[in-house]
Amino acid sequence: MGLIGMNQLTEEEKYEHFMKRIEAGEKIEADDWMPEEYRMALIKLISMHGISEIMGALPEKEWVPRAPSLRRKLGIMAKVQDEMGHGQLLLRVAEDLIKPLGKTREDLIQDLFSGRLKFHNVFHMPAPSWGDAGLIGWLVDGAAIITQTNMLNASYGPYARALKRICAEEVFHAQHGEAIIMALAEGSEQQREMLQDAINRWWESLLMFFGPDKAERTGSSKQDITIKYKIRTKTNEELRQDFFNKYIPRIKSLGLTVPDETMYYDEEQEKWIYQQPDWNKLKQIMKNQGPKSEERLKLRMTAYETNAWVREALGVKSKAM
Amino acid sequence: MMIQNSQELKEHEEMRSLVAELLYQLADDDFLIAYRGSEWLGLAPHIEEDVAFSSINQDTMGHAVMYYQLLEEIGEGKVDDLAHGRPSHYRKNAVLLELPNGPGHYRKEPEFDWAFTVVRHYFYTQAKKVKVDSLKDSSYKPLANVAVKINMELYYHLMHWKTWFHQLLSSNDEARRRMMAAIEKVCADFGGVLSLGPNGEQMAQHGLIEGEEMLMRRWTHEMESVFESLNLSFPESFGMKHGDGRKGEHTDHLVEATATLSEVYRIDPAAAW
Amino acid sequence: MSNQSHDFYQEFEVFSRKSDTAPMQYQFSLLAPNHEIALVMAQENFMRRESVADIWVVKRSDIRKMTQEERETLKRLDNKDYRMTKGYGYLKKKWRKFEQKMLDEKEILSWGGGGKQ
Repeated sequence: MGLIGMNQLTEEEKYEHFMKRIEAGEKIEADDWMPEEYRMALIKLISMHGISEIMGALPEKEWVPRAPSLRRKLGIMAKVQDEMGHGQLLLRVAEDLIKPLGKTREDLIQDLFSGRLKFHNVFHMPAPSWGDAGLIGWLVDGAAIITQTNMLNASYGPYARALKRICAEEVFHAQHGEAIIMALAEGSEQQREMLQDAINRWWESLLMFFGPDKAERTGSSKQDITIKYKIRTKTNEELRQDFFNKYIPRIKSLGLTVPDETMYYDEEQEKWIYQQPDWNKLKQIMKNQGPKSEERLKLRMTAYETNAWVREALGVKSKAM
Repeated sequence: MMIQNSQELKEHEEMRSLVAELLYQLADDDFLIAYRGSEWLGLAPHIEEDVAFSSINQDTMGHAVMYYQLLEEIGEGKVDDLAHGRPSHYRKNAVLLELPNGPGHYRKEPEFDWAFTVVRHYFYTQAKKVKVDSLKDSSYKPLANVAVKINMELYYHLMHWKTWFHQLLSSNDEARRRMMAAIEKVCADFGGVLSLGPNGEQMAQHGLIEGEEMLMRRWTHEMESVFESLNLSFPESFGMKHGDGRKGEHTDHLVEATATLSEVYRIDPAAAW
Repeated sequence: MSNQSHDFYQEFEVFSRKSDTAPMQYQFSLLAPNHEIALVMAQENFMRRESVADIWVVKRSDIRKMTQEERETLKRLDNKDYRMTKGYGYLKKKWRKFEQKMLDEKEILSWGGGGKQ
């Protein structure tokens, strides 16, 4: 492709050239030509991923001031800080993608408030005990690590680079979560119960974490497009099976159980057979009608609006400078 | 007299109790303001700031841990019990640091006041810097050693808060109005921060730290030029409107904060968490 | 309100150096209303767990980036060993004939005395 090449190509030729690049493992950059479908799929995926990190800080954040020791207070502060930091990285990637559409972070935040921009299903759930704080770090982050590492080689360069930073920190998150649940698992009867309750409470959400295996379950799924464009490689179901492979043996080794008595590993099919969660609940959550959807959105909205004067004050200033 | 370690200190009971009293003030101050800071997590005016602010809170709580460890070494109890198990009237933090971030609660309707946060943190950090500089020459060597370490992290904290303070006061009218109101609110209780409590004079006589007047003079010296550059008149007085925390006088806000921060700990204080 | 918020969100690129002798390295971008705030945010947002010796923040609009097509200008043939030491490796043998060692990169860079910092 020569210097003036790109402009002279038809849309079709541009598309072909683009597909050749991603098939050759090249990375697409923010200002490169990209098909509309690709841009839109990225915007949807990355803005949701980013805003989920920001909203995901909230259930754990409830436990930051209440963490039971100084070390745990420091650990969970650092962990929730990372979630905000991951949100920052991902929103920056999304913001560069929406820039040509004339949009900014302000629009993303407003889209969150209006319900146009969704946040991940797990963050609509309550976290009523310290056991939940541990479980989120252990299993929810474990699930997040599985989906995020699946996209480390994403064809979109800025996303792949952000994920590389994020996954490096997720290793700390996983260990932070394990430290909390290990103390509970090896603790008193009451502490073990706290942990088992949390697993029971979160099991269905963990199954839903990876999304439906087929679009019919909820009426929509973007997995095909993201695989076509080499943004990710594995299907929702493959990721869920990876999660079972990694975590079911660990759960069992601690003498804990999952609330699905029928679940077993089928040696022949080489996969876990489990009871489907109630996907209608996911549909509700996708409409921001989950158990904590409204409360968490309101928390973020109140904080954002209460602080609007700060952004106005310095925004005006930078204009004057 | 220079005391090299905790063993030696235990042989001088009067000195030991003075060291303990000073350490409780230092530890509780950092612990409470870090706790209030941690309530902001996820709610700051700007995502990038949320991340930066959290590091400051972690550093500050880390400093509290170091002071609590010195208390543990001189037989005052275990670090986590000191931080979580003491009822509010045993706590020695300045009352300013226990006041809530603003109306609402960190889990519900958090209408937190960023102006108050910036002013409180900036004034406090500058006061802490003055104290830590003085503590580097403390006659209790383990405390002097800790002060040298803590000092390292204060440069960033100061730069951070000073930047916000300066920028908000030199932006638009609304921000300036909010900042002036916050300065007034902070000054009403700032007297407690540089107070060393009922035994402050003895602490100074024993060379544990310089006296209140000297600390106040240093703080004023640092702050006057900042006020001047922003065209602000320097506050005439600093009070203890809501009580003298060094004497164990506190507000209900601390009672509530203590209940929250020890909620899980109290389920089973003997358990490993 | 929305316009003013837009003014608050300016794009800055962050660069840092791990040590006094390390090169400046690109980190990531952040939004801030001005250079001062950007600088105060930089370390904690991108270098919470690593050592840093220096930080630069640059307004993105002051950076001239390459377009996708301009990046094509960066490619070149691998036929330039005349400007690389590997193009002069034969000297080693020559010097051996005169019972001298070749002054290679390792040797020359060791002349400063201290070795690598």
